[in-house]
Amino acid sequence: MRTFEYVRATDTQEVVRMLAEDPSASCLAGGTTQLDLMKDGVLEPPTLIDITRLPLHGIERRGESLHVGALATMEELAADSTVAERLPVVREALLLGASVQLRNMATIGGNLLQRTRCRYFRDPAVLECNKRAPGTGCAAVQGAARMHAVLGVNENCIALHASDLAVALVALDAVVHIQGLSGRRTVPLTEFYVTADESPERENVLEHAELITEVEIPLPPPSARSGYLKVRDRVSYEFALTSAAVVLVVEDGTIRQARVGLGGVGSKPWRAYEAEHVLTGAPATSATFQDASEATMRDAWTVPGTAFKVPLARRTLVRELQTVSGVTA
Amino acid sequence: MSTVESRPLVGAGVNRVDGPRKVTGTAPYPMDFSVPGQAYGALVQSTVSAGRIIRMDTEEAERSPGVISVLTHENAPQVGTGPTTVLGEAPPAPLRNDRVMHHGQHIAFVVAETPEQAAAAARLVHAEYEAAEPLLDLQDPRAQHLVDPWKMDHSRGDVSAALEAADVIVRGTYFTADNTNNPLGLFATLAAWEEDTLTVHDTSQWPSMVRTTLAMVFGIPESSVRVLVPYVGGGFGAGLRAWPHVILTAMAARTTKRPVKLVLTRPQMFTSVGHRPSGVQWLSVGASRDGGLVALDHRSLSSLSMEDNDYEPFSHGTAFAYQCPNVITRDQQAKLNIAVPTSMRAPAEAQGSFALESALDELAYTLRMDPLELRIRNHTEVDPRNGLPWSGKALLECYEVGARRFGWADRSPEPRSMRDGNWLVGYGMASAMFPYFATPCMAEATVNRDGSAFVRSAATDIGTGTYTVMAQLSAEELGLPLDKVRFDLGDSDMPDSMMAGGSGLTGALGNAVHDACRRLVGLFADLARGDADSPLLGASPEDVEVSGGRVHLAGRPDRGESYADILARHGLAQLTATGSSRPPDPAEIGMSPAGAYGAKFVEVRVDADLGIVRVARVVSAIDGGRILNEKTARSQIIGGTVGGIGMALFEDTVTDPRTGRIANGTFGDYLVAVNADIPELDVIFVGEPDRGTPTGTKGVGEVGLVGIAPAIANAVYHATGKRIRDLPITIDNLL
Amino acid sequence: MRDVASERDVDRPGTTERVVTLDVNGRSYTLRLDTRVTLLDALRDRLGLTGTKKGCDQGACGACTVHLDGRRVLACLTLAAQAEGRAITTIEGVAGTEGPHPVQRAFMDHDGFQCGFCTPGQIMSAVALMAEGRAGSDEEIREFMSGNLCRCGAYPNIVAAVREAASGGGYDAHL
Repeated sequence: MRTFEYVRATDTQEVVRMLAEDPSASCLAGGTTQLDLMKDGVLEPPTLIDITRLPLHGIERRGESLHVGALATMEELAADSTVAERLPVVREALLLGASVQLRNMATIGGNLLQRTRCRYFRDPAVLECNKRAPGTGCAAVQGAARMHAVLGVNENCIALHASDLAVALVALDAVVHIQGLSGRRTVPLTEFYVTADESPERENVLEHAELITEVEIPLPPPSARSGYLKVRDRVSYEFALTSAAVVLVVEDGTIRQARVGLGGVGSKPWRAYEAEHVLTGAPATSATFQDASEATMRDAWTVPGTAFKVPLARRTLVRELQTVSGVTA
Repeated sequence: MSTVESRPLVGAGVNRVDGPRKVTGTAPYPMDFSVPGQAYGALVQSTVSAGRIIRMDTEEAERSPGVISVLTHENAPQVGTGPTTVLGEAPPAPLRNDRVMHHGQHIAFVVAETPEQAAAAARLVHAEYEAAEPLLDLQDPRAQHLVDPWKMDHSRGDVSAALEAADVIVRGTYFTADNTNNPLGLFATLAAWEEDTLTVHDTSQWPSMVRTTLAMVFGIPESSVRVLVPYVGGGFGAGLRAWPHVILTAMAARTTKRPVKLVLTRPQMFTSVGHRPSGVQWLSVGASRDGGLVALDHRSLSSLSMEDNDYEPFSHGTAFAYQCPNVITRDQQAKLNIAVPTSMRAPAEAQGSFALESALDELAYTLRMDPLELRIRNHTEVDPRNGLPWSGKALLECYEVGARRFGWADRSPEPRSMRDGNWLVGYGMASAMFPYFATPCMAEATVNRDGSAFVRSAATDIGTGTYTVMAQLSAEELGLPLDKVRFDLGDSDMPDSMMAGGSGLTGALGNAVHDACRRLVGLFADLARGDADSPLLGASPEDVEVSGGRVHLAGRPDRGESYADILARHGLAQLTATGSSRPPDPAEIGMSPAGAYGAKFVEVRVDADLGIVRVARVVSAIDGGRILNEKTARSQIIGGTVGGIGMALFEDTVTDPRTGRIANGTFGDYLVAVNADIPELDVIFVGEPDRGTPTGTKGVGEVGLVGIAPAIANAVYHATGKRIRDLPITIDNLL
Repeated sequence: MRDVASERDVDRPGTTERVVTLDVNGRSYTLRLDTRVTLLDALRDRLGLTGTKKGCDQGACGACTVHLDGRRVLACLTLAAQAEGRAITTIEGVAGTEGPHPVQRAFMDHDGFQCGFCTPGQIMSAVALMAEGRAGSDEEIREFMSGNLCRCGAYPNIVAAVREAASGGGYDAHL
């Protein structure tokens, strides 16, 4: 790790100002991505601003939305009573991610901003990485790729966004609250990310001198049912090969509302609108679920090691639609 | 030679004697040691797989804060190489020249005042290479092959004729992946010179070999080198060599005149301390219609590095696993530009038995025969290589007890015939063995004036329970309660021990401890017999035994006296005896020394749509000879089983096909089993004390792993109807 | 000019050292540290508390698990400076005056370790797991102990140890 100056911040606006003054400064929250990448030599900020003591830890329900402070931890959010009652998909996505220790550290803001697990990105000894060094190429495309993305990627970068939580949140139409020098703005999470095929080096629309302060999660109708299925080699403590976040409102056997997110497949947390179109208004049957799954993954760009994700993601979605709806026939 | 009867102390599942230190964090592992004035090392590793270093730029690193020294091939002292051991010749010394033979080879060693400074400076060492095209693919025709490197190829009968005449033939090609040992303890070395004597704390399973290596490398007497490793932090074979980083740390300590401490990083653990090599195996099995094996043709090609040896005769076990008149086994190794492979828990046997036991399962289905019945049908009570009876083999009992415990009879024979909701359910089984292995071993036993005993040997306890079982055995042999006996190890100044490897240590060391204790009791008996004041005056040695801290006439505890009394009357502070053991000679004992055996029964669940594989339960029936401690022995079997599940379903060290770089060299990317992957594991010990040695133990460190991968693959076949011949078995194979 | 709302390093802006006060197992230690020093390295190299182990230094094995304000975290991905003002508990602080913690005793009785290297982290996780109320079933124990790798494969014995310690209700005896 390169030497750095450590600054402990206690005021959000001051952090934004410091970031604006110093284009190479970075923020440190839970540390589970930032410090890891600094140890690997991928990130070498000369100034590290510890933001963990900013007053952004609260989780508060206001009407039909949940406001989650950016520094609330994954474990804190998973333990929240509104999440337990109204957002099973969020709770499951949280508890299926990482380990308890990491969830006690990792923050919600940090989770959304986590960097890819691609080992070619994470090793500076690898010279070809468009994400780390734009214009150098992509070693993963020609290398050993399995835990990589197939949507929103091309030969320039196949890095996966590995968050589980973000997959649930894109499905729920969560909104990111951002503080910048000139004030606050909000961005729907579905518009927050930039895909690797658009730009490998830029992963989201957050500016350097901006800080996520809060994530707002609109609560689905009380009649909605939701869930998150994560498929992986191990039972626990592993990133997803594929995953599906599903929110359904079913009335008298008809799907009134459907929200679908797919994980383990995209260079960003993937919202599967095409599946939602098939589902909405259709009878809640396995045939519908099958059709919905067939509508997804059509734009997949695969390499030999990732080709299996196309059928697996579809089957994952079918299974979770069955589980959430209770319809297996 | 007589076999010791099991007495209550030995065999009992007593808690580990080192438990209190391990649960409180006070057990010192190599990385936990520090000495005043120590500096810290960091390795720089090559980023190409083959070629030459044409320029090393160390200036920036040398200017970096806290840096004391940067060693490269341009300024490193030339040193010697270590000894040839049972594991082959020692690799060439590090930093010897500008040649690069694998990605991750150590090309520089940075010494700095703090670990942070050393790690940061290591990133500032820049190497320019003249890269050559590396040989990375096992089946690259350009690779040089070592043919029968361990002189273990076997042939008997006429295999081609037998295959031609066989009623049924099953042929298969099997691939097993590179696996990385990855003990949790990062390997660490702390080297300190005082004039020309060297003290080293090192993560090793074999301190005396590290001692000999360092003495030869630096050209100093063995008596000037001391290697200490009271606690290892796991090894699984990775600690069986004196690795280049150990030599580099000692070299840097010598050139900087500072004690130097090096702790490897986890990614460095993938390239610096060995791994289980990948391999391809070709197996043909011929059988008669009734299931009798008539021919076995087993050939392997496994990967080897350019600069080192590795004991991996994959097919060796097939020569004596079953009764079969016509057998060929042939092993070759391909020299590639890869990091050095080494033994990993159940070397060769883990891979070889995957092919053999998978093929037998396939044969059973072809013959429409119960796979268990097929094994029983081909059981052999003698070693087919020499016709001698095994010194102990309770494999039939393993089959019977294991099958009953598992409920094997409830299996429905057809593949894909058992289901529970989305889960396809499958049963699979495999036989397991790990061949006998031992080398000479020594131990020393002392009884002190207060009647307490101290027994020791330069062995290591890699987690198998050596501290505990040797204390138990010593206490029994010396007739003392466990709390009056201390067993110590992990110091090369102690009597020479064999490695903690090959499942051989417990037997070899146990026999040495047995010998030392017997000799020590003999010394006491001799003193007493010739002493007019002793109740044992004139007793013959055969009539003397020990119990309760007393030397007495056999069966007459009242006719004798305590160790303390004998020592006091003779004005002695203590008595010491050294004992030793050697592997038995088959001709002398008229038996073929047997390793451990087992029968493994596995239930898997495979998600019909998603391809997820979960192990639901495992029953292991094990013949481990005489079990010294039921608790720690059971732990060895469950630990081996967990390793076997990892090998079957998760573990795959991926080498980048273009560059030779390890593509998943972290614990986040290289998957080992986690707690949630492991169901309740049932272990039953069967059999008798082995007849080949005095203590009658067989090592159980490796037999727990053997057979798990094929039993899982066979269960996956039973569940799904898909025969997977490629490890690990992952979702991608089962969609 | 610096806003009072941010606390820069002690000496001057731009310095890469910092004086850090750590509260470990109820004792306070003041250290002058390179800002890069993690809590793990501060405990091990500076305070000599080597019970907390380094198994990966990348947040992937759990060997460095300690409690920060009662919650289990990974010391390898926590800067020492971040832990300032928080109550840090390590394996050295788990046992009570009257002997080992019930979890430690259960690990010994059930042989919940082999090489012992991951054991301090396992025990710190197990103690926290019980306080979290996650020892309700073997399945729960397995899942919530999965952040602690054990390469020796002692998992079934670890589960048995946690089950026993939890059923004894002894988890709040010392913490």
